[in-house]
Amino acid sequence: MKASRIARLTLALALCSPTARAQHLLLPMDDAQVNHLKAYGVTFGALKEGVRSEWLLNYRGGAFLIPDMPSVRRAAALAGVTVELADANAVAAMRREISEGNMDAVPLEKAPRIAVYTPPDAPPWDDAVTLALAYAGIEYAKIWDDDVLGAGLAQYDWVHLHHEDFTGQQNKLFLGFRDAPWFVQARERDLATARRHGFADIPTLKKQVADRLRAFVERGGFLFAMCGATETLELAVAGRAVDIAGPYSDGSPMDPDADAKLDWSKTFAVQGAHLEQAGGVNAMSDIDGHQVNVPSRRQPLGTFTLFGFSAKFDPVATMLVQDHRTVLADYYGVTTSFNRKSLKPGVTVLAHEEGAPWVKYMHGSYGQGSWTYLGGHDPEDPQHNIGAPPTDLALHPNSPGYRLILNNVLFPAAKKKPLKT
Amino acid sequence: MRPLLSTALLLGVVALPAFARAQEPASTAALVSRALEAEGAGKNRDAIAQWRSAIAAGAVVPGVLGLERVFSLLAQEDSILVVIDTLIPRFPREMQLRSVKLRSLVTLARSADADAAFDQWRADAPKDVAPYREYARVLLFNSRPAKADTVLRLAAESLGNTRPLVLEIAQMRSALGLWKESAEAWREAMANEPYYELATVFSLTPTPAASRDAVRAELAAPGASVGAVQALAFLEVAWGSPRSGWRVLSTRPATDTTIAIWRQFADEVERAHAWPTARDALVAIHTARPDASTALRGASAALAADDAPTALRLARAAAPALDSAKRLTEVLPIELEALARLGAAREAERVLAAAAPAIGPDGVRLQARTIAWAWIRAGDIPRARAALKDAPLAAEDAVAGWLALFEGDLAAARLALRNTEAPGQDAVSALALLNRTKATKSAAIGTAFLSLARADSVQATRRFEAAAMELPDAAALLLSIAARIETARHNDDRALPLWQRVAAEHATAPEAPEAYLEWARGLKRRGDVAGARLRLEHLIITYPGSALVHQARRELDALRTGAVE
Repeated sequence: MKASRIARLTLALALCSPTARAQHLLLPMDDAQVNHLKAYGVTFGALKEGVRSEWLLNYRGGAFLIPDMPSVRRAAALAGVTVELADANAVAAMRREISEGNMDAVPLEKAPRIAVYTPPDAPPWDDAVTLALAYAGIEYAKIWDDDVLGAGLAQYDWVHLHHEDFTGQQNKLFLGFRDAPWFVQARERDLATARRHGFADIPTLKKQVADRLRAFVERGGFLFAMCGATETLELAVAGRAVDIAGPYSDGSPMDPDADAKLDWSKTFAVQGAHLEQAGGVNAMSDIDGHQVNVPSRRQPLGTFTLFGFSAKFDPVATMLVQDHRTVLADYYGVTTSFNRKSLKPGVTVLAHEEGAPWVKYMHGSYGQGSWTYLGGHDPEDPQHNIGAPPTDLALHPNSPGYRLILNNVLFPAAKKKPLKT
Repeated sequence: MRPLLSTALLLGVVALPAFARAQEPASTAALVSRALEAEGAGKNRDAIAQWRSAIAAGAVVPGVLGLERVFSLLAQEDSILVVIDTLIPRFPREMQLRSVKLRSLVTLARSADADAAFDQWRADAPKDVAPYREYARVLLFNSRPAKADTVLRLAAESLGNTRPLVLEIAQMRSALGLWKESAEAWREAMANEPYYELATVFSLTPTPAASRDAVRAELAAPGASVGAVQALAFLEVAWGSPRSGWRVLSTRPATDTTIAIWRQFADEVERAHAWPTARDALVAIHTARPDASTALRGASAALAADDAPTALRLARAAAPALDSAKRLTEVLPIELEALARLGAAREAERVLAAAAPAIGPDGVRLQARTIAWAWIRAGDIPRARAALKDAPLAAEDAVAGWLALFEGDLAAARLALRNTEAPGQDAVSALALLNRTKATKSAAIGTAFLSLARADSVQATRRFEAAAMELPDAAALLLSIAARIETARHNDDRALPLWQRVAAEHATAPEAPEAYLEWARGLKRRGDVAGARLRLEHLIITYPGSALVHQARRELDALRTGAVE
């Protein structure tokens, strides 16, 4: 048993006993872990301190191996993260086991510089990623349109997008919320930004922002998007030269031939999708499989399954699916899933719903960088609605869905190995 | 059988045969009667035949409902569909037939057929709200709120108005977790039909804490009906904040309707043991419509809420309206107990002396403990002992235990206080102390607890602090009791140094984690976030096995993210 090779001493004992010294601390990520989400924060904190760590892919749920240092022990104890002490023999046994199976040890070198694209006044609970980062104790900066259109993106390794509508139609919420104070405020804020940068309307502004984000990835950045940002980023990039927005957004109707004029050559993941041309239908396109906001098309939630990858040959995909569960309950978002028929051939599907025509989670390379899309809004709030209460992650410290988000935060820290295929 | 279906079927049994008897020839009524008898006797096969005959004779609706019941008992729900499909073309306007069909198809999980039946009904009655209402109800009953949502949206599109469906919309929204929107729909429903308040409470009770303010805003919006306000008050009780519920109701003018609602509310909060709120409601009722029964209930609630002055006032207000026997059995005990808690020992003795001729020596002896408590509250232990002269207590009586404790006889107190009836905070502290120290005598401890009993918290704090010097084996606990008293008085200037002493001088005592937690909270209240963080971190690292570690982590997270705890 691999577990028996490791000194299964509790951290409390370790802290009390000056003789309980180990060379490494193992943060197990299987069911032995009390707080999976904060384990990512502890690892990130170690990287921030310059402590090189290792991500043991497919080993005990994707465990982390960190040199035994007082600061790491303290951080783990404060966060309530389970830590096992591993001496040289235990580590050697671990490495032997890893070398013999579909596992690998990936060095983590440097904490990535993280930016979240979010309005300056957005509360953290409006976005699953900021929720996860705040709970895990991972530092991030907030960026918005001015930063993206300026030189702001260059300072970051990793950018996250959540439910921004890059077609500039504010998720078509005009239909139901045009008089809501928050909607009016967001519209005025975006219009002011557009005018400040010399754009006539919000769709033009957002398409420019989308193109900057695309270029960020092309130059080597990591982009992680969830919910509606995924679908609308694709549409905005493909519709750069076409009017794809309804009249309530830019004063002119959508180009009647917009569908035919979309240019999919520069998009990350999607090709050949069709725009939703009816202004009264709250959907952007047929990219999303679930269409939650169109009652006649809405598909019920099921479960999705994470794929297994070869840790040694496909470490990036393997990192992104490290989890202590392989079948997860699905959850809605403005964009919940991605229709398989619209995906480009090079896309790596990370999770799908068995037998359904859509996928949930996918990844790909683009230029020098890479992107990852995860459908849905909040893994622990399947029916999330506007105005719904924030998720309290202290009640979900072992959330397998939130782990997918945090895998993405940490994977840019991995040292790039030469590809074996 | 599930409740909604049971209700529907029950209505079928009771109401529809009566309708049939009034409208149909006598032979049809007889057939229905025979079918009911067979069904009642459990002769299901006979009942099927009888119900079929009843249908053939014209009792279509009672017959179909009867068949539905019997087939359901026989787990042959699909058999009813054959009957229904022959009847609908003959009676296309009969809503019950369509309802039974939808109900059966959804129960059988034949979703596509149910949708088709629904579409057909809509096509046959394009302006009628019934298809939407019935299908939505069936879907909600079968835990399919998302599908019900789709049906109700269709209703909005097709009919242009969902007002007749407001009940179903309210239920659907709460089933989907759309609490604010559900409250809005319930408020709308109760504008004309206020008797839906219980349904509203049932539907909205599961609202999570973070969404409750939105529900409150909807139900208490200007112009909300009496039903909406009543529902909100009862929701507050269900959500554990009865005082907020009373705030909602108490501002209404004291009309007969309002007082009837106040009475229901008082019953509810009494059941919930929310005594301060029960007291307030009963006082308000008694003020508006004075009566002895309400006054006595209010006095009991006030005593339970530890509000002796109100208890005394209400008990005395009730007395004139009662006969002498009730005054002695119901008013006198409350009056004496209230006086005892107020420390009004002389007055208690006078009241008891006045009642003595009526209650006799035995009755007087029954009140001896109360009089003794009154003297304890007054700080006069010899007189307390004297009060018990003719009613000696058992060695293990709690009052004897308290007297022993106040006199510093810890050994006797240890024995007797095991039987204390209502362990409040004082009793918990006393028992913890007696369990901790090995000492058998301590005058300092006696005077400290006596100060607490007299509700003299300033003296009590000083004396517990002094007692800590005398009993080193319980010093941490005694200092913690003093610190808790000062914390409860919101006196951080006194509390924080005491918690610091516990933390610094008694780091291995069981109270040390509590001391760090309270110290951190005090520092946070003073704006010293860094200091608070240090103490919380120390608690987590140093006392990893403490039950307070989880709370400390939460408070540490809140400090880090600026969240409100």
